[in-house]
Amino acid sequence: MADRNIIEIRNLTKIYDLGAIQVPALKGLNFEIEEGSYTAIMGPSGSGKSTLLNILGCLDRPTAGAYILGNDDVAHMSDKELSGVRGARIGFIFQSYNLIQQLNVIENIHVPLFYQGKDISDYYDHCEKLAQKVGLGDRLDHRPMELSGGQQQRVAVARSLVNEPLMLLADEPTGNLDSTTEQEILDILDELHAEGRTLLVVTHDDAVAERASRVIHLKDGQVDKDIRKQDSDRKSENQFQEA
Amino acid sequence: MYALALIRTFQAGLKSLRLHKLRSGLTMLGMIIGVGAVIALVAIGEGASHDAQEEIRALGAKNVIIRSIKPPSMREQMHGDWESFFRRWMAFYGLKRTDATRIKDTVPGVSRVLPMLTKRMNAVHDRREVGCQLIGTFPYYPEFTQAEMVAGHFLNTAEENTKASACVISLSLAERLFAGHNPLAEEIVVRGYESEQVFQVKGILRERADIEKLPQLPGSMGQTIAANVYIPLSTFKSLYGERNVDRSVGNLVLEAVELSEIRVEFDTVEDVLPALPLIDEALKAGRDERDFEIVVPIQEMVALRNQKARDTRMLLYIACISLLVGGIGIMNIMLATVTERTQEIGVRRALGATRLNITVQFLVETLLLCLVGGAIGVSGGWAFAEFREFLTGDSTIVKAWSVIMAFGLSVLIGLVFGLYPARRAAHLDPIEALRHA
Repeated sequence: MADRNIIEIRNLTKIYDLGAIQVPALKGLNFEIEEGSYTAIMGPSGSGKSTLLNILGCLDRPTAGAYILGNDDVAHMSDKELSGVRGARIGFIFQSYNLIQQLNVIENIHVPLFYQGKDISDYYDHCEKLAQKVGLGDRLDHRPMELSGGQQQRVAVARSLVNEPLMLLADEPTGNLDSTTEQEILDILDELHAEGRTLLVVTHDDAVAERASRVIHLKDGQVDKDIRKQDSDRKSENQFQEA
Repeated sequence: MYALALIRTFQAGLKSLRLHKLRSGLTMLGMIIGVGAVIALVAIGEGASHDAQEEIRALGAKNVIIRSIKPPSMREQMHGDWESFFRRWMAFYGLKRTDATRIKDTVPGVSRVLPMLTKRMNAVHDRREVGCQLIGTFPYYPEFTQAEMVAGHFLNTAEENTKASACVISLSLAERLFAGHNPLAEEIVVRGYESEQVFQVKGILRERADIEKLPQLPGSMGQTIAANVYIPLSTFKSLYGERNVDRSVGNLVLEAVELSEIRVEFDTVEDVLPALPLIDEALKAGRDERDFEIVVPIQEMVALRNQKARDTRMLLYIACISLLVGGIGIMNIMLATVTERTQEIGVRRALGATRLNITVQFLVETLLLCLVGGAIGVSGGWAFAEFREFLTGDSTIVKAWSVIMAFGLSVLIGLVFGLYPARRAAHLDPIEALRHA
């Protein structure tokens, strides 16, 4: 894998100002994420996991420090600029799938492109290919209500890929799924990793973290452990080939 | 590219409205009723005022009508003394031929004066007898009243000069008296309290209909009764005397009126209003009581136009209030929708939607509610107006401006009342919104 860093975090600090008291959630984090890596972020509740996820997803801004995504420091961008960054560089996968109920599979996959100003008529084939890639080529006109949880999460994965993001950001992607479906989704993530995509998964589930090549443990707003597993990289690829 | 994106937003908006058909329908109801009411009421108001103006125009905008009326002293109760008894029983009052000449000579701008004598009589043909109004007048009477000949010709100058026993009858009298066969060149007998005269029918006249429908105009002395017999003024005078004594049988009332009506025609409409004081002045001479009334169609027209403007304004106020109420209803539902779709808003924000995108999305949905509601309202109001015209025969006129205004107001309401919910949606914190279940 290339050594280019997709993400560089420098002294990332987030303090929640509750008026009377100030609650520090992140206390000066430093780490990099390389292109093509598969990283899990773990930690108990209150460790700053969610806060870090929000900042990495450009949904929130840090109080201090730098967050370089691609080549730009996005830490202090305006709301409008951040919207653009989210739409163009990040592919979100949520715990509760978060598909838009009134749209069918293909329209849901297309949503991020719409906000990039790209019309569905020009990208229909692209969206269809992604639906086929996650195994839903025969359900293009189904509404989320008509799909199982696993199928909905597959749509969400396809949607996260539609704008060719710099990284996929998954928040407990299997939290709402039974163990069989969980394996399916994790296999898809492995497949994407094998394709060279950069994955960042926030989870408290060891089974999910096991697939990653690197696990960053947070504790009290700081990096507690940063473990790189050279062999787990191969292991996950092997699992995929077996599957 | 932006245009296409906007079209897609409209399509998406329609889709989410269709998702909740009943709710969308109920939400639009206020708009539909408001807009429909505007269209229907304006159409009915316009139609009524159009009809009324047509009727007034029939009386002639360039005309002034002066009618004999009983002066106040003759309307009083009898006091038991001979004078008041006499004044009531043998009433001499009203316009004289000298009044007509004086007006013609002294008032500037007068082109023609049409004196009219009337008398209540019965018309007889064969064994049919119909109560009628005998009218003595000049050959140019039809031009004054915009009446048109259905058959034959109106009284001509030759007949006027020779005091001919010729008459023209109104269409409705012809229908009642002749029951289908051709009245032209037939003879009718005009029978009164103490006279019977034979006239030859020269023509049939269709008067401007519905003149009596005008509530603003006091009932005229004869023209409103459709059973009319027109004879030359000279014939009238020679047959019934200088003074037109009108005896109503059984009433024991003896009234004498020389001219029942004078119509004055001016050269132009602009001459009418300035000349009114002069007409008054000309008539006051030689009178100690006001035994006439002046009807000015152009004044009625102006009054009607003003009243119409007032009515229209009133309708607009009512319309604005109902649209306001409709708009508040729509805003209420949109606020509920925003709350309901908080998570969707969060997802869209995470997937790259800017605040503007979200604002536009919800604004478009509100706008669609208003536009669709407005369109249904316009067609409903229009249909109602047409249906009413079909039922009652009163004309209704759907004005282009009322349609444009109703649509414009719908759009305005949509923008005004959609903006707050839309902005509220746009300013939700994406993190909070995403967490919203």
